[in-house]
Amino acid sequence: MEQAQNLSPLHFDHKLGLFGDHENKENLLKISEIKDLSIFQIAKFKKSSIEIEKVTINQLNLPTESLKVSYNQETRVLWSGPDTWLIISKKIDLKDEIYKSIRDEDFAITDISQSRAVLQISGVYAKNVLKKGSPINFNENMFKPNNCVNTTYNGINILIDYLDDQPFCFNLYALRSFGGSFYHSITDSSLEYGYEAI
Amino acid sequence: MLEIKCPYCGKRSQNEFSYGGDATIKRPQLGEEISTEDWDNFVYYRDNPRGKHSELWHHVSGCRQWFKVSRDTATHEIFDTCKMNEDFNV
Amino acid sequence: MSNSFRTTNSTGLINKDKKINFTFNGTIYHGYEGDTLASALIANGVHLVGRSFKYHRPRGFLGVGVEEPNAMVQLHDGNKSEPNIIATEVELVEGLKAKSQNCWPSVQFDIGEINNVLNRLFPAGFYYKTFMWPKSFWMKIYEPFIRKAAGMGKAPLLPDPDRYEHNYEHCDVLVVGSGPSGLASALAAAKNGARVILAEDKPNYGGSLLTDEVTIGNMSGKEWASDTISQLKSMPNVILKKRSQVFGYYDHNMTVMIERVSDHIENPSKYTPRQRLHYIRAGEVIVSTGSIERPISFGNNDRPGIVLASAAKEYMKVYETLVGKKPIIFTNNDTAYSTALEFIKNDIEPIIVDTRDSSNGELVKEVQQKGISIKFNSGIADTKGHLKINSAIIGKLDSAKESFISEETVECDCICMSGGWTPTVHLSSQAGNKLKFNDDIDAFVPDKKRQKETAIGAANGSFTLNQSLAEGFQVGFDLSNKFTDQNNPTNSPNSNEPSYEKHEKLWCMPLPSGKKPKRFIDFQNDVAVSDVELAIREGFRSIEHVKRYTTLGMAGDQGKTSNLNGLQYVSKIEKKIVPEVGHTTFRPPYTPVTIGAIVGREVGNHYLPTRKSPIHTWHEENNAVFVAAGLWQRPRYYPRGSEDMNSAVNREAANVRKNVGICDVTTLGKIDIKGPDAPEFLNRVYTNAWLKLPVGKARYGVMLREDGMVFDDGTTSRLSENHFHMTTTTAQAANVLSHLEYYLQVVWPDLDVNVLSTTEQWSGIAVAGPKSRDLLSKLFPDVDMSNEGLPFMGLVDSSMDGIKARIYRISFSGELAYEVNVESNYGLYMWKKIMEVGQSFDIQPYGTEALSTLRIEMGHVAGAELDGRTIPFDVGLNSMVSQKKDFIGKRSLSKDAFTESDRQTIVGLVPLDKKTKIPEGSHIIEDNSAVAPIPKLGHVSSSCWSVEYNNPFSIAIIKDGKNKIGKNLYAVSPLKDISIPVEVVSSHYVDPEGSRVRS
Repeated sequence: MEQAQNLSPLHFDHKLGLFGDHENKENLLKISEIKDLSIFQIAKFKKSSIEIEKVTINQLNLPTESLKVSYNQETRVLWSGPDTWLIISKKIDLKDEIYKSIRDEDFAITDISQSRAVLQISGVYAKNVLKKGSPINFNENMFKPNNCVNTTYNGINILIDYLDDQPFCFNLYALRSFGGSFYHSITDSSLEYGYEAI
Repeated sequence: MLEIKCPYCGKRSQNEFSYGGDATIKRPQLGEEISTEDWDNFVYYRDNPRGKHSELWHHVSGCRQWFKVSRDTATHEIFDTCKMNEDFNV
Repeated sequence: MSNSFRTTNSTGLINKDKKINFTFNGTIYHGYEGDTLASALIANGVHLVGRSFKYHRPRGFLGVGVEEPNAMVQLHDGNKSEPNIIATEVELVEGLKAKSQNCWPSVQFDIGEINNVLNRLFPAGFYYKTFMWPKSFWMKIYEPFIRKAAGMGKAPLLPDPDRYEHNYEHCDVLVVGSGPSGLASALAAAKNGARVILAEDKPNYGGSLLTDEVTIGNMSGKEWASDTISQLKSMPNVILKKRSQVFGYYDHNMTVMIERVSDHIENPSKYTPRQRLHYIRAGEVIVSTGSIERPISFGNNDRPGIVLASAAKEYMKVYETLVGKKPIIFTNNDTAYSTALEFIKNDIEPIIVDTRDSSNGELVKEVQQKGISIKFNSGIADTKGHLKINSAIIGKLDSAKESFISEETVECDCICMSGGWTPTVHLSSQAGNKLKFNDDIDAFVPDKKRQKETAIGAANGSFTLNQSLAEGFQVGFDLSNKFTDQNNPTNSPNSNEPSYEKHEKLWCMPLPSGKKPKRFIDFQNDVAVSDVELAIREGFRSIEHVKRYTTLGMAGDQGKTSNLNGLQYVSKIEKKIVPEVGHTTFRPPYTPVTIGAIVGREVGNHYLPTRKSPIHTWHEENNAVFVAAGLWQRPRYYPRGSEDMNSAVNREAANVRKNVGICDVTTLGKIDIKGPDAPEFLNRVYTNAWLKLPVGKARYGVMLREDGMVFDDGTTSRLSENHFHMTTTTAQAANVLSHLEYYLQVVWPDLDVNVLSTTEQWSGIAVAGPKSRDLLSKLFPDVDMSNEGLPFMGLVDSSMDGIKARIYRISFSGELAYEVNVESNYGLYMWKKIMEVGQSFDIQPYGTEALSTLRIEMGHVAGAELDGRTIPFDVGLNSMVSQKKDFIGKRSLSKDAFTESDRQTIVGLVPLDKKTKIPEGSHIIEDNSAVAPIPKLGHVSSSCWSVEYNNPFSIAIIKDGKNKIGKNLYAVSPLKDISIPVEVVSSHYVDPEGSRVRS
């Protein structure tokens, strides 16, 4: 049996190297594709009597306010709407992990792992790049590390997961079919600062 | 470029939303006996007020929730927003 | 001698150590860093820069900044060439090239000046009264002539090579303008902890503090400005932006600002944007935009060398440039005397003409003390000098100030005029502020605000430094406190300024005796006092009508130096007060903005985002020609060798009917539906029954809008009791998802169902044709692919090479067919695998065009038939409509019009000659020889070349379609002069029993 070729969404778009105004500069942005994440949407059914506060997945509870993220080293639980969450993990067996805690009778559990193109951008100017295309208020008091937000970037729907601020580091999720345009949009905004595609 | 307070996500720019028409329209019950005139009113006829208007918006690039907005159609001032199962405060 | 019009002192803001060379009309000059193109030209004694719009009169600089109406130039050449740029806003940069506009062959000798000679033929509104006869002359003679004469500069024909970027900002307080009130409010707000953005249009902060002789605290105004900026620079909660103009005020305190990032930089780096557009959402906006000086209307007041007094002063103080060495100062107020004093500092004695009887203002006294005598009760009647002013006729006014009693000619090389000040209220007005007229200053000021904006300082009609500072500090603190609650006010320092006496309410001089020189009000559109008088004589009363008839205030400068004078003149003639006459509405942008900046980076291929399937690179490598399906790029056909589209499409479609073909159908919408009420929900959304669909089976479904029209169709499968996989058309995928969410959240919130798009999670490959079963059996040996094992509308889960695959037995082509879904990362791999194994079955890929052919000759309806005007009955789907349950749109189907039996319904059409393809959109009529108006029976919705029968075939929607089968009609396209005799046949042209899909 041949081994099937697993091609990530940005396989043909992400080219390594130094780009933009990078000569003689420190503080270059770093851009990379994050591959092979497990991504599940879970949504609690209205008629289920489960108490959300008592649910933990991979030892993480389910945040009940917009922007909030519960996280540990491997897994992040993002608020995605009322009674709706995105569970994103490096664990390949995330599905099993989820089913340890919840059941199909109480939640709609759907695997959407291969539906997103994921870019990570980090560096001093990462926020400036985001501000070029998204109308979100990125001021420190409004959007903080381990916040997440669903918004648009130059017309493309994206999910921004704010990982860190020392330096700024964001995971950006877009529908995989938009991959090429999304990649172009982010990297084009990064040219002014210079970036390293790793 | 309006700024709309989604009841779930907070203040966001108009680019994240899609407009959904008059919020006061109630769909007749399924299977209900209804005159052609009443059905046509539901399907086709809408008021066109100058001033305060209760309308639906859909947060398509955010939480994907439909919600209600009270907006002045002439000045665009937004008085209040609320969830589908709530009423306006203002 | 170059730069012979420089001041003797060097206390301005130019850097004489950095020389900059530039070219104007082919001649090389030099200026210095900090000069504008205007100041550098003036320093070199150049005043003639252009020709006016209509009369082609010689024109020079009137102003020093954004208010300039005359000095428009064509900047740069080649693909960077830009027309209609005002020279006063262009920062000098090495190698700059500029040219005069609207003149030929040169600005000194312009043939267009004939318009001026014949000016009596071209008064306001002349084009409403001419160019009408003879009618035949319009297209061939008048129109081309007018086209050539119209406009000012030349638009470049090459793409703009520069980068323009966008940025979104949020702040508590946005301060627009860095004059004294702006600086004060920014400082107060920032010190009180608010997030502040300060925007300044010019390259230097300070506004009037850079030109006025004032003190603040123990510093000069200029030093105080500099010190305040240093303080602001050090605060982390402040963003300072110079060379940045806030040009538009929109809803909910969104303002848009254009930043000139690198226009002034000689060799900017390749990726530095030329300009940046900022969308700023501010909690509060402070409008501290200052005021603009008013000209005075007098005979021939438009000659090169006639400038605004404040402009002359700024040229001296900031740019170290003299507008002339023999100036006349002409004024109705005190402020122009500061210009006089500045000339005196440069050892030049101006002649001063004041319309007032007298004045005891401080500046007036100071001028008199220097031994300058002032001609009070006087005015300028006329001027002389063709390409540059050389003398003025000064007249003594009578007591009513309506005529001149005596006149004298005086030599001069410039006139510095001042008619008082107009607060710059544009942004407040754009924000919906209802302005009111202030009688004291004879100008409009903001009054009833509609958004969170506050005008302060001169923009609010507060013309003294003391008031400006006080307002600034107070408002800056008050507004910032709304956001921070820190309660930390800043005190306004003491300030010293000269005291001013009142101005005279006189802005238009009488005509000199015996002559009628033009007295200009709007310089950019060449509108004179006589034009306004003409408009009123012809019956135009409202200012909106006068404005449009004369084009007063309608040029690119939007009347910055003409609106109020025009308004004043109309009110004088009508004997009404100004506010009654009304004022025009201000619209963004405040000054013209280059289109590139608005577009940003959405250029070329990235004008819109594109969507691509995971298999896209294979299509590219195999010569696919793509077509846009919404944002998606889909392969349309795969030409081989020198095939044209028709040959390729026919080959691909024929191969599907004979062997097997594969088509990338990843773009079709997929929606995952789960929940205890999922079956009930589907039952309400679709026209047919869903509750009893067995698990592991798919069913075709049609959904309607509430008005009964077909909205979308697709195949939905039941994966488990409460779990469904819905498919939609590519075009309606997003709309269907919103539709489902609407009904679940707004109409039936009691239903417990979750819907989620999974279009991107799965890659879809259609495998179609008589050999498709054999091919898939080879790929999935563990699956029973027989007709009994996997029947039509069945589905099965399997795997191949370790990847999950779901195989649906569904068909759009009407042949025996399957759709293989794999998770997207493996889409390309699966496609290649099917192509590899398919070689022995004569497999070929087919695109959307062949796909269309296959479904059209089968009579399967798609978007062209489901265009929002057809109900199920019309498109042969009436059997799909359940009589037993209610669903979305059902009630509409029982309306009278929808139950008529002779509605337009689908049929097939074959041209009688079996050769002529029928254009889509053709009308169907009964009688080809009838005279218009001819009753239309219907239209052609889809056309193809039938590969089954080797002739053209179309689907049409015509009245009483069923009963027309067998008849001969005509398909006509009057625009193309086409008329094709056709035979009406059943729309199910190929395999009407549908036996192939069930084989």
